[in-house]
Amino acid sequence: MADYSLVVIGGGLSGLAAAIRHARFDSSVLVLEKHDKPGGLNSFYRRGGFLLETGLHAMTNYAPPEARHAPLNLLFRQLKLSRKQISFHQQKGSLIRFPDRDLYFSNDQDLLLNEIFEKFPHDIDNFRRLISSISEYPDTAAKNEQRSARRYLENHLSDPLLTDMILLPLMMYGNSAEDDMDLDLFFVLFRSIFLEGLFRPGGTIKDLLDLLLTHYHALGGELKFNSEVVEVLTSGASVAGVRLASGEVITCKHLVSTAGGAVTSRLLPGAVDKEMPVGKMGFFESIYVLPQTGRHKVDDRGATNIFFSLKDEFTYRRPDQAVDPSWGVICFPDNFQDLPRAENFQIRLTNPANYQTWASFSGKDYEEKKKLWAEKSRDAVIPLIGDFYNEIILEDSFTPLTVERFTAKEGGAVYGSPMKIKDGKTTYDNLYVAGTDQGLLGIVGSMLSGITMVNKHIFG
Amino acid sequence: MTRDEIKNLVIEIIQDIDEDATTDNLDPDGQLRDQLDLDSMDFLDIVMELRKRYKLQIPEEEYPQLATLNSCVEYLEPKLKDF
Repeated sequence: MADYSLVVIGGGLSGLAAAIRHARFDSSVLVLEKHDKPGGLNSFYRRGGFLLETGLHAMTNYAPPEARHAPLNLLFRQLKLSRKQISFHQQKGSLIRFPDRDLYFSNDQDLLLNEIFEKFPHDIDNFRRLISSISEYPDTAAKNEQRSARRYLENHLSDPLLTDMILLPLMMYGNSAEDDMDLDLFFVLFRSIFLEGLFRPGGTIKDLLDLLLTHYHALGGELKFNSEVVEVLTSGASVAGVRLASGEVITCKHLVSTAGGAVTSRLLPGAVDKEMPVGKMGFFESIYVLPQTGRHKVDDRGATNIFFSLKDEFTYRRPDQAVDPSWGVICFPDNFQDLPRAENFQIRLTNPANYQTWASFSGKDYEEKKKLWAEKSRDAVIPLIGDFYNEIILEDSFTPLTVERFTAKEGGAVYGSPMKIKDGKTTYDNLYVAGTDQGLLGIVGSMLSGITMVNKHIFG
Repeated sequence: MTRDEIKNLVIEIIQDIDEDATTDNLDPDGQLRDQLDLDSMDFLDIVMELRKRYKLQIPEEEYPQLATLNSCVEYLEPKLKDF
C-alpha cells in the first residue's frame, strides 16, 4: 500500500492546483516543495521591511463571473473556490511602445481596435479578420507539430511593424523559444491577453497562496517545505515513489512533476519523454519602491504595463551580453483598477538576459554586475518614463541565476523548455508532467495544467 | 435509495459543483448540459462525487447515461439500491 495516492513535486501554482483538485475527491496527496515557501515562480520575499512579489506582473485570462466556460471561472469551479474569496482588479490599460508608434490596449477589445484603426488604418480590416479567425480556432486543435506564429501574422497583416507590436507582449508573457512562437501558444496567449485581458488579485501573491494552502489543508491535503526530491524510484515502467534529500522515501500511486521535463528526467533512470532542451529565454528584473511623493517623477501614462522596444525591429532572442536593455516590459503593479492607494508604489523593469554570462560572474563581481546592469537598464527607459532614481527608497534586482536557484527553472528559463509535453504523459505510466513544460502558461494556465493532468490521467 | 432520493442527490451534487446553478425548474427529460450550461469538466465532477461518496466507478463510455435527470435515475438506481 503506497503512502499517498498522489505525490506532487513542486509547490508552485500548477502543483498546488493539481493537489487541491485531487484532494477534493481523495485527500491522500502530498506536495513536496524544496523551498520554505510556496508559489514557485510566483512567490514573494521580504526586503527592507517590504514584501516583494516575484513573477506576478499581472494575471492573464480575465473573465467576468457570467462567462461560465472562461478559463478563469473553470479554474475556480474545478478547485471549488469561490470568486467571492478574492477581489479582482482589472488593468487600467497597457501600452506597446515602439520608437515611432504606440498602441494602447485594455480589457475592452474596442480600445485596441480603435488604436489600430488610427495608427494602422490600412491593416484594420486585416486585424478584424485576424481576431475572428483566432476566436474561432478550436482549443482541441492543438497539435504537437510546431507552426510559425510569425508567418501566420505576416499572412494576415500588411505592416511588419504591427506584427512585431502584437508579438512583443505575447512573447514577453510566455514564449520559451527564440525569434518565433509556436502557433498554438500564440492563439492561447493572444486570447488570454488581448481578448480576455489582464488583472491582479487584491492584496499580494502571498494572500492568494495563503488562500490556496488553507483550502488545500481544509480538504485534507499535506505539504512539506524544505523537501527536495533527489530521486524518483521506479519499478519497471512505473514510478514507485520518491527519495528526498533527507534520505526519506515516500511511496505513491501517481506522481505529478512540475519541475520541468529536463529536471524530472535527471531524477529518473530514464528520460521522461523526448529530449527537452533547456529554454534560452531568461530575464533580468529590477524592482523599485518609491514613496507617493515621488510619483511626479514617473511618467507611467496611466499604464499597468509598458511593453517597449527601443529599436524599430524587435527580435525576441537571448542577448549575447548579460542584459539587453533595448526591449522589455515596465510594470506598475499599483496601476490596476480600484486598488487602495498605498503609502508607496513600485516600478518593475524587466529585460532579456543571458544565463551563461551571469553564471560566469564570481561572487563579488556578480553583485557589481547586478548594480551596473540595473543602472543601464534604468537609463535606457528614462526617455520613456523619466528619471526616478533619486526618489527610490528600495531597489532589488534578480537575474536568471536567482530564478534558477529559487524555482528549479533550469537556466532561469521562466517559460521552460521550447519543447512541450502537451499531453503531460511520460515514458512512465504513472508519472505526469504539469506546469510550464506541459505547455500552459501564466498563473491561470499553469493552474489549469495541474487540474487537467489530474482529471485526464488520474481521475479519467 | 428511491428514485426520488437519487434525483435529489443528483440535484444536490450539481448545486454543490456550481453555486449559481438554478435547478428549480429542470426538465427531467431535458439535457442537463444545455439546461445548466455544464461542460465536460462539470460532468467529471458529478462522476467524481459519486465515486467519492458511494465508491461507484463510472467508466467514461457510460457518461452519456448521465445526460438527463431521468437518465441519471435510470442508470444509478441499480447501482445505489443498497444505499
